[in-house]
Amino acid sequence: MKHQIKSIAIGAALFTLGGIGCGGSGSDSGPLGNVDSLIILQRPKRNDTGDIFQYTSFKPGARIVQLQPPTADGTLTTICCDKAGPDFAQIDISSYDISFDAKSIVFSGKRPSDMAYGLFLLQLSDGHVDQIASNPMRDFVSPIFLPGDRVMFTSNDVVEKGAPQHRDEYERGTTIQLGRVNLDGTGLELGPRNLSHRTAPSLASDGRVIFTQWDHLGPQNSGHLMFVNQDMQELREGFGKEGTGASNSTLKAHEISPGRFVAIATARNRTINSGALIDIRLGDVATQDGAVNAAVNQSEANATYRQLTPDVPMDNSPSADTVGRYYDAFPLNAKDKPDLLVSWADGPVESGVLAAAGLSANFGIYLYDSAHQQRRPILDDPEMWDIFAQPLRTRPAPNVVGSAQDPKLAGQTLIGSLDVYQSSLHTFKPGEIFGVRVMEGFSSEEGFPEDFGTTMFEGQANLGVAKVAADGSWAAKIPANVPVHLQTVDVFGMSLFNEPVWFSGRPGEARMCGGCHEDRTRTTNVTPGQLDIFALGAAQLFGDKPRSARIKTAPTTATEVVGVGWNTQVQPIFDAKCISCHEGTPGAANPSYTITDPSGVMAPVMWTFDLRGGALPPEMAIAAGGGAYSRSYFSMAGPDMEAIEKAHLMIMGNFKVYMNPEDARGSIAIKLLNPTQLFPAPSATRAFPTTPHMMGKGTELTAQEFYTLILAADMGVNYYARENNPGLQIY
Amino acid sequence: MKNIGTKIAAVAVLVLVLVLASSAAYAGKGGSAAAIQAAVSSTSTDAIIAEVERAEGLMCEACIQTLTNLTEDARYEVREVAAWWFAKRPALKDMLASQFASDLPQGGTIKVRNAADFLGRTKTYTALPQLRAAIHRNDLGAEAKLALVRAVGFMAHTGGNEVLTTAMADADASVRVAAIVAWRDMLGQQTAQPVVASLGDQDAKVRAAAAAVVGNMTEQSARGTLEALVVQDPDSTVRRNAAWALGQLGNAGSRTALLQATGDNSGLVRGVAKAALAGLH
Repeated sequence: MKHQIKSIAIGAALFTLGGIGCGGSGSDSGPLGNVDSLIILQRPKRNDTGDIFQYTSFKPGARIVQLQPPTADGTLTTICCDKAGPDFAQIDISSYDISFDAKSIVFSGKRPSDMAYGLFLLQLSDGHVDQIASNPMRDFVSPIFLPGDRVMFTSNDVVEKGAPQHRDEYERGTTIQLGRVNLDGTGLELGPRNLSHRTAPSLASDGRVIFTQWDHLGPQNSGHLMFVNQDMQELREGFGKEGTGASNSTLKAHEISPGRFVAIATARNRTINSGALIDIRLGDVATQDGAVNAAVNQSEANATYRQLTPDVPMDNSPSADTVGRYYDAFPLNAKDKPDLLVSWADGPVESGVLAAAGLSANFGIYLYDSAHQQRRPILDDPEMWDIFAQPLRTRPAPNVVGSAQDPKLAGQTLIGSLDVYQSSLHTFKPGEIFGVRVMEGFSSEEGFPEDFGTTMFEGQANLGVAKVAADGSWAAKIPANVPVHLQTVDVFGMSLFNEPVWFSGRPGEARMCGGCHEDRTRTTNVTPGQLDIFALGAAQLFGDKPRSARIKTAPTTATEVVGVGWNTQVQPIFDAKCISCHEGTPGAANPSYTITDPSGVMAPVMWTFDLRGGALPPEMAIAAGGGAYSRSYFSMAGPDMEAIEKAHLMIMGNFKVYMNPEDARGSIAIKLLNPTQLFPAPSATRAFPTTPHMMGKGTELTAQEFYTLILAADMGVNYYARENNPGLQIY
Repeated sequence: MKNIGTKIAAVAVLVLVLVLASSAAYAGKGGSAAAIQAAVSSTSTDAIIAEVERAEGLMCEACIQTLTNLTEDARYEVREVAAWWFAKRPALKDMLASQFASDLPQGGTIKVRNAADFLGRTKTYTALPQLRAAIHRNDLGAEAKLALVRAVGFMAHTGGNEVLTTAMADADASVRVAAIVAWRDMLGQQTAQPVVASLGDQDAKVRAAAAAVVGNMTEQSARGTLEALVVQDPDSTVRRNAAWALGQLGNAGSRTALLQATGDNSGLVRGVAKAALAGLH
């Protein structure tokens, strides 16, 4: 076994660590003074894990080693899996965790004859390994110990029997979600699903689990830290969403002290899972005996961060020599500028540059003094990635943190708010909210084309509107394990405020929030006594209906509309009531605009408003994102503005986008049509004080037609829904 | 790659349209034709994928030739992301798809491989008849058969079942494994009955895959064979998967076999058998 030390040009102070040990380390001999040995994972070096959610990379020959003492001249011993028999000879190991009593290690491994990564338990006393039972066709990765002899993991196994696992719309990987299992392989539970990946769970001292969630809803496209209880309930945002993020993605968080985490800040791709180190403080910063915590008033809105490695890029540009990138970090103390065990690679840690040079990132283990931004080399095998170093020592197990499951929900999830008007993101006018609309999300794995339209939104199904009671409370029973997002709506069914993230709940989980993203550091105060909604009862929003029943191809009333297929539900409205005027003949009823190239290379292309169905003329198809959508869709959704803008093209003339994604109320078409009141019962009252467009021009739209158009806008201006899924056709 | 010219000729009409954006050096999410080309030059699969992803919304005539070439790259991951790029441009995709579909009846192994991967990844359901016909060709190598299986697996459409059942009898074990695995993932697949026979396959990887699939789909008719495999199969992966599958079936009649498996000398099998035993009804 080669055991080489990398030369690092980080100054003369490199090998002097005197005085580092104060502030929570409990030792005068440096941050590793009380550490007998380190556990380190060594994987054969590779270059195929640029994407932070990559979990399938396989290269046989990994091992778990022990370095004792934890110094560059310590003795390195392989502890797995050389004593476990021939079955484990060619295993690859992607990650591991040490048990609370430091007697065993759980790891994720794959052997050449395996179809997927599985979970294994290594006994440190004798080196024997037992597999923890899991679906052999699904990957189980990123295991961590939970109190109560359990292991949490992420997996691409499917919690919803018979349904395909969601596939990330952009990165295209089969998504991984949280799950847990007893150490003896019994009691395996899969958590509720996000539309995209969840990865890198880590246990906090308060018993919650912090992990990275990829949030993708329309323009939202980034990886944030989230919290969840050990039973995968009570999902809460942690860091990165409310403008607090340091980078596109934050991952591999490890607790430094209560409310404080070290994590990797990076871009999603090309970075070999590595980036800069940041020190995240979720609450008010306090110092006790030299140890800094941020335990009080923890909230995403209060969160701050410090860069511990200022020169390291947090995007996916190649890192410079001597700057490199960090793969992971484990805190050794809670000083204001903590000492960390890190895995670091020098040079341009960026997949394209590395491949062009015929290189792979060479991660080695270092002791990082963040106060002086100095690394001290501990271990670097140039043929291996040396990663995930941790002291081998006991640690206190936090309490088992769970939340109640209500058997009366019969497998459904209950969601609601004590007072929906309480929000840290939006100010509502008193009485303006009629209800909360719940929309299910799905991806193209159900047989759809690659995109649901030009607007980059996922597929959506309206599960219905739960009425808000007089005291602001509301509740709804929804399908468990299904990604949903919420909109507060007015009496016309139009969104007042849109929650821009997906969430989901477990069967029997009751998620009653304080408000509509209320201030997380304050207690929601409600009128003493029973909430109105508990007396009224929760709305039933498809909670007891399977996926196959959450579709309505021929709704007969407004509130029956679930999904909105553009050609099957919107186009008939246009055909019946609009195209007598809006049929594409240039003029007042059909304004035109021209797309031009200022460089003069292209010929101008003109578009005229046209609500007829049928395919776009080919010269416009590319401006619609290359989609094979209809003339009416293009007229309403408009061209792909991002592409237009970045192609330096100009639009001249009477250009308007008539339907805004998730904003029916602000959409020109809806304003012009001026819909009638829908809730609590249809009436002739109009939404806007203007004269309705159809007045004197033809037959007024019905309540169902108004709401179909409103939903089309508020659900992202998609062309496809389950109701017109072309993949359902049989060939 | 001699058919690339044909394909480009086919899309030439649309290229005239795409001159709309021919002056755009950068578009999409920071992507560009030059960046894609640089990634191709780097030879990095990861970099190519990243740059094509960034060109998701790029209006880019200069990209078409490069991306068309990538649909016939030797690496599946590269072909996959190139197909994805075209899938977001349905008009272009349709033109390429018709060309690729025409490769299925007569093309050699590599052509069929590339065609199947493109048609599968772009979910060109209209190509299912050609995919079904191609799997019966006896002049194709395993690489092409694997791609045919992969294509219908990605479509997840039961209209591809014939491809899978045919592939389950293929001479190449890797094709048989792929077909068995894909069988489970077809939307609305009702039974694992066609997989049961593969529990007796001569290849251990096939038996292991079959055991996992019948477990996933709780195919009760496989119980007797699984009980034999869990204690008798010479391969520890097969025994492990059989133990797991018996746990999924949950039949108390499997207790004796699983009890015996808890004493297996492989760490792969013991724990899984114990967990399965605990889950019997």
